[in-house]
Amino acid sequence: MSKIVSLIAVAALAILVSSPDRAAAQTQYGDANAQPAPFNPQMAALMSMLIQPRHAKLALAGQAENWPLAGYSLKELRQGFVVAARAVPRWKGLPVPDLFDAAVDQPLKLVEAAVKLQYKRQFDEAFGKLTEGCNACHATTEHAYIVIKVPGASAFPNQDFEAKR
Amino acid sequence: MRLALRLTATAAAILVCALSAAWAGGAGFGDDDDDSDEAGPSYFGFVRDSAGATVPNAKVTVSLKNRISIVTRTDALGTYKVPGFGREADPKDIEVSCDKEGYKQLRVVRRSSPSTDPKIPIETECTLQRI
Repeated sequence: MSKIVSLIAVAALAILVSSPDRAAAQTQYGDANAQPAPFNPQMAALMSMLIQPRHAKLALAGQAENWPLAGYSLKELRQGFVVAARAVPRWKGLPVPDLFDAAVDQPLKLVEAAVKLQYKRQFDEAFGKLTEGCNACHATTEHAYIVIKVPGASAFPNQDFEAKR
Repeated sequence: MRLALRLTATAAAILVCALSAAWAGGAGFGDDDDDSDEAGPSYFGFVRDSAGATVPNAKVTVSLKNRISIVTRTDALGTYKVPGFGREADPKDIEVSCDKEGYKQLRVVRRSSPSTDPKIPIETECTLQRI
């Protein structure tokens, strides 16, 4: 008797698993009826969301000598590094806080000093060192093909970076 | 009979839930795939000066006691990385030393990792002092 029950259960399960409705709900992107999963961006996404645009905005603000905006952008960029390091403390086994510290801490301090002094030449030099730090970190983490540079144009057509009086 | 049915139904429900979870996929965002390494843990670390600043282009020797040595140099961030010596190599038998012209080695400190994940490299910091 128990054998019959087991067979019925297995058959029911097989039908359930292979039902057309189930197959229709499931795509390569997941199941529309699934519970929302916690959002857990990894390093590549964090870099694209929190670091790369803020690096660009800081450059554009500095180029425009919009020092209040540069100060704000610098703070945001620093915070981006903190958030990324907390979210992914180790990346492929490597200690992310230590890598960030080695790559960008000194250049960020130099940028901060330039912003406070409102000294564009020093800002440009410090920003170049910051960008070098980004690329050095990419090389250390075997992503040397991701080359960051000082932006030549704005990627934010809906934001005015010029200083306001 | 009822008990058997209930147990079977429960087992089926658990299986369905497990399959659904697997279908739903991960919650990550990005392609940060973890390359697993069969060569045992790799060896990574910073070379710093006595003030804590990183030292690029320092020579680092990573040796498996009485067997083999790998010599490398620190990169622009002052880090070095060498691959594992194989699963059979005991990390306790690995020695790290560093050197650079104008400096002498001050100390070597192995940083303990809270994880036992073999993919996490064995981290050893080497400190140099200016002569």
